[in-house]
Amino acid sequence: MTEPNMNLLDRRELISFRIGEQEFCVDIMAVREIRGWTPATPLPQSPPYICGVINLRGAVLPIMDLSARLGFATAVTSARSVIIVVKVGERMIGLLVDAVSDILMITDDMLQVAPDVACDRVRSFVRGLISIDSRMISLIALDRLLPELEQMAA
Amino acid sequence: MDELEEIKVTFFQECDELLADLENGLLAMQSGDSDGETINAVFRAVHSIKGGAGAFGLDPLVRFAHVFETLLDGVRSHKIDVTVELVRELLRAADVLADHVQAARTDGVVDEAASADMAAVLAALTASGGRIAPVGGVAPPPAPVVTPDDEIGSSFKPMAIMSLANFDEPAELPSLGGGAWTVTFRPKTELYRNANDPLLLLRELERLGPITVAINDETLPSLSEMDPEAAYLAFTVTLDAPVTEAQIQEVFEFVEGDCDVEITGGPAPAEAPALDIAALLAAAETAQIEMAPPVAEPVVAPPVAVAPPPVIEPVAEPVAPPAPASVAIEAHPEPAPEFTGVLASAIKTPQPKAPPANEPVANAQATIRVDPERIDRLIDLVGELVINQAMLAQRVIESGLASSSSVALGLDELEQLTRQIQDGVMAIRAQPVKSVFQRMPRLVREVANMTGKSVRLVTEGESTEVDKTVIERLGEPITHMLRNAIDHGLETPDERRAAGKPIEGTVRLAALHRGGRIVIEVGDDGRGINRKRVYAIAVEKELIAPDAVLSDEEIDNLIFLPGFSTASTVSDISGRGVGMDVVRRSVQALGGRISISSKPGEGSVFTLSLPLTLAVLDGMVVDVAGQTLVIPLTAIVESLRPKAEEVKGLGPQGAVLSVRDSFVPLVDIANALGFRSDKRAPHEGVVLLIEAEDGGRAALVADAIQGQRQVVIKSLESNYRQVEGIAAATILGDGRVALIVDVDALVAMRRRDNTRPTEPTLFAAE
Repeated sequence: MTEPNMNLLDRRELISFRIGEQEFCVDIMAVREIRGWTPATPLPQSPPYICGVINLRGAVLPIMDLSARLGFATAVTSARSVIIVVKVGERMIGLLVDAVSDILMITDDMLQVAPDVACDRVRSFVRGLISIDSRMISLIALDRLLPELEQMAA
Repeated sequence: MDELEEIKVTFFQECDELLADLENGLLAMQSGDSDGETINAVFRAVHSIKGGAGAFGLDPLVRFAHVFETLLDGVRSHKIDVTVELVRELLRAADVLADHVQAARTDGVVDEAASADMAAVLAALTASGGRIAPVGGVAPPPAPVVTPDDEIGSSFKPMAIMSLANFDEPAELPSLGGGAWTVTFRPKTELYRNANDPLLLLRELERLGPITVAINDETLPSLSEMDPEAAYLAFTVTLDAPVTEAQIQEVFEFVEGDCDVEITGGPAPAEAPALDIAALLAAAETAQIEMAPPVAEPVVAPPVAVAPPPVIEPVAEPVAPPAPASVAIEAHPEPAPEFTGVLASAIKTPQPKAPPANEPVANAQATIRVDPERIDRLIDLVGELVINQAMLAQRVIESGLASSSSVALGLDELEQLTRQIQDGVMAIRAQPVKSVFQRMPRLVREVANMTGKSVRLVTEGESTEVDKTVIERLGEPITHMLRNAIDHGLETPDERRAAGKPIEGTVRLAALHRGGRIVIEVGDDGRGINRKRVYAIAVEKELIAPDAVLSDEEIDNLIFLPGFSTASTVSDISGRGVGMDVVRRSVQALGGRISISSKPGEGSVFTLSLPLTLAVLDGMVVDVAGQTLVIPLTAIVESLRPKAEEVKGLGPQGAVLSVRDSFVPLVDIANALGFRSDKRAPHEGVVLLIEAEDGGRAALVADAIQGQRQVVIKSLESNYRQVEGIAAATILGDGRVALIVDVDALVAMRRRDNTRPTEPTLFAAE
């Protein structure tokens, strides 16, 4: 698994998943668990990308439809839909994605800056691009998914 | 050293309690309740603080406490009458004492000038027998008053007596009339570290004259806790020799700073008149000791020490360091009965060993200090237990077991137990609001002084209990409301006189339980809200439209809007840029609400309502547009199924329900929360008649009622944010999240939605 020439310091593991036809990933250190889809209780007065809340072992966990958040169509949930529970700052939030693909091991130098052509929303949520086996995977900047919540609360 | 720090922390915790006792006692005296027990409690509080402070060498605190105590001693022995003026000064002194404690705790400094002034006032009061004399009229000759500066050295004795009282083998005093010196010598760890030996010092003392040495091992910890390199022992040396204090001090010259030395007693020619030991003993025997506080104190020391040897120890030791004066006085029959017998018998009939008289004061109310995190963890766990129990119960029902089956019966019992555990755990955290209210009299005094207004604070419902989490956050809003009431609400004395009101304004602080919430009311009998001015300011600051039509209530509540402040000059008290909007925000963050009602010329009342606990709630579980919601049971007056003819339209959108000839606005929950956009005929569903915080009623329309259930409140904010109309969330038996409706907010939302077109800017600032 470990390649000999990899620098231990800037190596990081990512979990990649699919939304529609595109692949995204998040840092594995932020991921608390991955669980199957359970129907969420809808929240009034919430943006469309908040599906609602579910019970995560006694805690109320908001679920964010990452597809809607990134500007794609609202996710259609199925038995294969997956919730990636991530911790961002002090908050826990569940990200609804279509399916988890695999775990990647990369070094920081493999991370490329997203090109200018990308729209504002992509640029604000995507920290960088990774090219592996001719696949392009976007690394999501988790901390930027949430600030909008803070603003709404204020 | 760490242990000493720990003890110190405990000391300061006790100081807080003692200061609270002190203030309570004084307030009771202020309201005319000045019986012996109250005065005694006041005295004991100051006395215990002084004793503890002496042990830690907190000299400024000790000095002030001593002057204070001296005056109180006079009050206690009926030499000084309790008057309104006296109590006022005593209250002020209590504030200064609290400052001293605070300064000692934080290694800060007190306002020395203020402290000295206060001490002078107290000393003057002591001297004049309670008559308020101008400051400076200190110490008329007949009753020499101890001033802060001279007492610490020569006449302050608690240390000495404390140690005397702890003689293992009580010293035999060689002579009484000669005035033996008592030297309390407490080496610090540094002394040993610097290679000094107490034995050498004691020998040095012996060279001055015959000495008797007693060891005080009071602070000696158990073997397991002992730091082998620390100093724990103190020595009490009685030296009967015609030497001067300076000579004794010389002995300790080389270890100065490395030990605590108290030198007391000695030949005291100045105190000669009171030195009739035999008479004093006789007086003690008849339990009739009366003494001039400042002079008598040093004198009483010897008699206590001479009293028949083996008996003294159990008497004096248990009490938080009793100064001689206190021992003597508490031998007085009425105030402290537990003392009378023991001391009297100790003096009269020497017994080999008297039974321990009473427990140390600190142990009187046995309490445990627990890390709050442990309790919080416990509460979380119990919350999980409740949810789990509910889920289990649901599974059992789903499995089709009969309700008479042993499993179902066992589950019932489990539910009972779970509830009891939950109540018990919650009770651990419940505290009376007293702890918050206690801080307020001082605030009121200070603000009153600053504004030159005369204010009386009336508190009610101090024993109302609330969860600790709520208590902790009550202080700030109450402080703001009180400041506001005094600064803005009350008129100046002149204005009040002109208005034909009593010059002294009254501010009322009350706590009560209402509808499963705690309600805090801060009312004043001041001028009330100047609605015209509030309106004008709101228009000027563009908070409302110039032509807005507002009800009186709406105008009053404008003061909660951000950026609103009516004070024309920014005052030192309530105008620090912190307005009522900040108060409202902090209250809302707690799930609370604040409102104001006001009558011109009669005053205003701020009403603050908060949940009792942030943990559990009794709720009605209802179905609304396919969702399960919980309505707090406390808000529900009744539930009913309306007939079609009872529903009347009102205007293009609104509808009211006729309930026993009164009309209640209908609020469709599904519409209000946006779960459904189309209207549904109310008579197809169920109506919950609710009463809002402000007393207003509304009829909430739901689809069906599932039943009543206790639910554990889960915060939405911790992972998400506040949602308008939703108080919190909970987890139901099936493991799904259900939302708890904030009834008041829901009704307010509907009202606002309906009225928005006509008052576009009123709430724009939110």
